[in-house]
Amino acid sequence: MQRNRPPSPQTVNVLRALAADPARWRYGYDLASEVHLKSGSLYPILVRLADRGLLETSWEPGVGSRPPRHLYRLTGAGREFVAVLTAEQRDRSAARSRRRLSEA
Amino acid sequence: MPYFIVFLVTPIAVAIALYRRNPARFLDGPAEDAPLRLLRWAVGLLSAQRAEWGRAMLGELGALDGRWSRLRFALGCTGAALVMPPWGRAAAALWATIGIAAASLALFAVLTVDYGLGVGGWIALAVVALICAGYLLGASALLRRPGIALPGVLGGVFATLAALSLSGFTAVDQVTFIPNPWQQWVRVIAVPAVIGIAGTLWRRDPAAGRRVARLAALSAGLLQLLYATVAVTILGGGGPPDEDGGFTIRGTVSDRLGNNVVDLVVSTLIIAMVGWAAAALAGYVMRRVSPPAVPAQEV
Repeated sequence: MQRNRPPSPQTVNVLRALAADPARWRYGYDLASEVHLKSGSLYPILVRLADRGLLETSWEPGVGSRPPRHLYRLTGAGREFVAVLTAEQRDRSAARSRRRLSEA
Repeated sequence: MPYFIVFLVTPIAVAIALYRRNPARFLDGPAEDAPLRLLRWAVGLLSAQRAEWGRAMLGELGALDGRWSRLRFALGCTGAALVMPPWGRAAAALWATIGIAAASLALFAVLTVDYGLGVGGWIALAVVALICAGYLLGASALLRRPGIALPGVLGGVFATLAALSLSGFTAVDQVTFIPNPWQQWVRVIAVPAVIGIAGTLWRRDPAAGRRVARLAALSAGLLQLLYATVAVTILGGGGPPDEDGGFTIRGTVSDRLGNNVVDLVVSTLIIAMVGWAAAALAGYVMRRVSPPAVPAQEV
């Protein structure tokens, strides 16, 4: 059974980094550096995103003696998910501001 | 005599076997750096469904330069590979192993408090906890190898039952048993050898047999530790007096717990080493008796 828990802050950061330029394929190490995650945290997140159909993967052929590299970018569902996430966060921030104003 | 064979001859036999497998490694050193070897090992722990992610980690490591960044990346990926699901049957076996280790540690802690074993007792408990953590880490890696969990755990149960059959099952038997020569041969040579050989024959693969022997050693060590700790809990300072413990109740309990830890380490080493050697020997005999089929030549 697929559980739909809200994504962790680290997952949201990865999603945002991927959504910044959704058409671009990204390397795992570059993503980890950008969002300041260790490889041990990044790969389980990427696996979960791919399992949920939010991430598509591809292979870049190896150059010389270097092995092929895995590439990542958001799927259509992934982009929609990030859009919904951003909208929800905007709504929450707006509600918080309204509450603060009404309390003042 | 059997202890002499295990602790002197077996390491030499293992070194010879490793040399025969890859002489270049001994003469020229490893061909790959430590991060790559570590990550290759860790990737082997992933389930078949996650194999692509293992290749992804290796591909990324291949693009990295710099010793420390490679090592950091490989260590992180190793941690991820160790915990990444799915686990299947291995999860049940690992939880059982964790339960056994936790029960032993909990009893150890209760005895430390009840008998006022003091700082020395807590230090001993910390040492046992470290050893158990190492055992669990090793077991978690071995359990995830395909087809190792069941024969490995069964091997551990078999070794424990064999040891208990020789010593007797009562609490007093656990603290008074001194094996005679033939019992030593059974415990130290025969039982571990049977596990290694059976593991090899079960999987038709000496590498699997060696893993089965190692897992059996870890699970037998933890099972025997639990049984022996339960025995000390039942007896406390009762039973025959203990000269090494200075004839005081606290000293007797402390000495019995210490003996259990020594038994844990020694029995694990013995089963792992003799089982390893027996599995390698069984594989050698298996290859001699039935050489691998040669593919038919194309015309």
